[in-house]
Amino acid sequence: MTALYSDSDAISFESNNLITVQHKFDVYEAYQRALADEDISPPLAAILSLTELVTRSDAGTMFELVQALNDGAETLKKRVPNPIGLTAGCELFIGFVTLFPHESVSFSELKREIVRQGKTYTFHAVNFRAKIAELTLGFIKDDSVILTHSYSRVVTQALLHAHTRKRISVYVTEARPRGLGLKTYDILTAVGIPCTVVLDSAVAYVMDKVDFVLVGSEAVVESGGLINAVGSNQMAIIAKAENKPFYALAESYKFHRLFPLSQYDLPTHNSGILSFPHPKNPHSKERMQISVQSTENCDPSTVSNDHTTMSAPLSTLSSQRTMTSEQMSRNPDVDYTRPDLISLVFSDVGVLTPEGVSQYLVGMFAGL
Amino acid sequence: MTKAERRELQERQRAAKAAKVATGPQISGAGLSVKSPQATTPAPSNPKKSSKGNESPLQTKGFLTTGASGPSSKSTKESKASAAAEEADGRSRGLRIFSHFALQKPVGHVAKGDVHPAIVHLGLMFAEFKISGANARCIATLSVFKRVIQDYTTPPNNTLSRHLMTHLSVQISHLVSARPMSVTMGNAIRQLKLEISGSDIDLPEQDAKDALYGKIDNYIRDRIIIADQVIQETAMKKIHDGDVVLTYARSSVVQKVLLEAWAGGTRFSVIVVDSRPMLEGKRLLSAFTAASIPCSYLLLPALGSVISEVSIVLVGAHSIHSNGAVFSRAGTALVAMMAKQHSVPVVVCCETYKFSEGVRLDSFTKNELAPSGDPFSSFPLNRSPTSLIIQNQPNLEILNPLYDLTPPTSITAVVTEAGVIPPDSISSIPLALGRLI
Repeated sequence: MTALYSDSDAISFESNNLITVQHKFDVYEAYQRALADEDISPPLAAILSLTELVTRSDAGTMFELVQALNDGAETLKKRVPNPIGLTAGCELFIGFVTLFPHESVSFSELKREIVRQGKTYTFHAVNFRAKIAELTLGFIKDDSVILTHSYSRVVTQALLHAHTRKRISVYVTEARPRGLGLKTYDILTAVGIPCTVVLDSAVAYVMDKVDFVLVGSEAVVESGGLINAVGSNQMAIIAKAENKPFYALAESYKFHRLFPLSQYDLPTHNSGILSFPHPKNPHSKERMQISVQSTENCDPSTVSNDHTTMSAPLSTLSSQRTMTSEQMSRNPDVDYTRPDLISLVFSDVGVLTPEGVSQYLVGMFAGL
Repeated sequence: MTKAERRELQERQRAAKAAKVATGPQISGAGLSVKSPQATTPAPSNPKKSSKGNESPLQTKGFLTTGASGPSSKSTKESKASAAAEEADGRSRGLRIFSHFALQKPVGHVAKGDVHPAIVHLGLMFAEFKISGANARCIATLSVFKRVIQDYTTPPNNTLSRHLMTHLSVQISHLVSARPMSVTMGNAIRQLKLEISGSDIDLPEQDAKDALYGKIDNYIRDRIIIADQVIQETAMKKIHDGDVVLTYARSSVVQKVLLEAWAGGTRFSVIVVDSRPMLEGKRLLSAFTAASIPCSYLLLPALGSVISEVSIVLVGAHSIHSNGAVFSRAGTALVAMMAKQHSVPVVVCCETYKFSEGVRLDSFTKNELAPSGDPFSSFPLNRSPTSLIIQNQPNLEILNPLYDLTPPTSITAVVTEAGVIPPDSISSIPLALGRLI
């Protein structure tokens, strides 16, 4: 639903962009092209697409250029369903451009310099993960049992790196609905790391067996907290309850100047998420009949439409008890983990405490 | 004290007296033993009593009569005297703990030294809480300083950069005698001192003054007015449609944030929590109701009944310390802790010029007393309010601390013009500004 709306918005934005961008250059297309590379994460893809925008832009002054970049970033944000990661990248690049010293002879020279710097940064940024993997290694003891969530490039790399030096075994969550945990499982078992997929709902069950939790992140925010695939927050809460360390791995380009006060303060949250469907009278009657048939002594009044997870499988009748896409759309993709639940954040700028992250962020964006 | 206890005490005192004065041993009997402590109790309260002239007759009576009539009447007198002594003790104990809270002394209209009339006026405004609030006081002080600088002439054989500050120190100490200096004023004055000492000796006096006016105006604009605007924009984004915003007492920044958010089309409701003796929330409430924002008004004791409905707590601050503790109107800590208990985010709106280096751990080491107001009017008012006002009773100590300290653990975020900062990272504010405060 929301994607449709944002698409139409984006079209109107594109027409604005036509004024500032010389050729019909679609920043979103560039973003998608950059993202096609397996090693490129959303923030880097955003930086790459914006560098391309600078190359194509006919802006003659710094003001125009920054304006064009902001418009480009806005277009990207509107067209991507989960804009958190790429916003971090856009923020970083636009901040860099704004503070870029004006030492070049001409403005076109300056633009070329900016593009060159942007490309060099993304080139080096790919190696950040190796650095993080090396830092993480120091915290992994021989024979560790590690719990991880879903799929993350940096966590996978860290685990593969650890495997070359130490004996580790890994539990990975399935991470519904996208099931990316299976991807991690495939990669790890391929190199011979003992790995077991656990249900998202079995995290509490498995927690006692693990030595620490290792998760990746979409973004690390100014509070020192973490935005990651949904399920990370509950994992952190359970880890805290069991006194297990909860480590997050994040490249520094994922540091994002955002301060969510709650789950619902995230930019990805919209009114559709967690909403209750409108009760449709004829339809609900039908449903109720089915539910009455299938479950005995079930009071029809308690089986309200609100319990979508409950009534839907009943309507589809056993064979496959999975959520419909409509039901899935009422669920969040990412959640926010509070800083007090996180033990350490490993990044290419060092191993930071959550407070350290926020101080780093405050310092990084000083003077903007 | 029971009679036996008193007896015992008296026996001891008499023994002590006997050691000093040889006449002791002859005296015995109930009447005399009652008498003796009055003579021995340490000086403070007694001289007044004896000066009233009833001491000597009693004494003679005591020596003469040992009858039954004497002891009863005297013992009541005695107990009164000892109660008074205890009261005096109690009061001095109360004062001993909180004596460092600046007491409201009447501000002298007569000022020591060369105090500018505008400063005298401002001092009175401060003392009477006509101007209160960290921002208002700082702006008022700086604007009055501009007038002081205007009326100042450098004495011969001196330079403005060296002498002006000594002139200003007199004004500052007068203001401090009216009401202790706020952190904001302290920061602003420190900046002003820096500017004065840095002004060029060779500059003509008027030019140097003009430069200082400019500096003062810039400070007010950059650190307070523009900062407030940035805070408004940032904090507004944290308020969503359908939210219930709770605020305590009155903060000018919070008022602006909420009015601006309402004007921006966000539809939310506000709960204004207030408390005696100052009831500052009423002013905030009138501003909100004028803007037709749905409001509730309640006093601090009712907080527990509404806190679970609240989506965000938004409060202002007097000052903020490098450990993330927020010094704010008394009661704020209570609100913040209650909100924390119910997982409601607590957001403090605070300009960076309120930052104070140093760690604050409690609100007892330094605090102020609130104007006493009317703390004793009760409901129902079946007695005239004046009869309920209790004053100057020796056994009564009225304590109204003006501020309290909210620990960093019960604060979610601090909104400053340098961005939203978690309380743990407040110490990086100077870093965020790229310079020292």
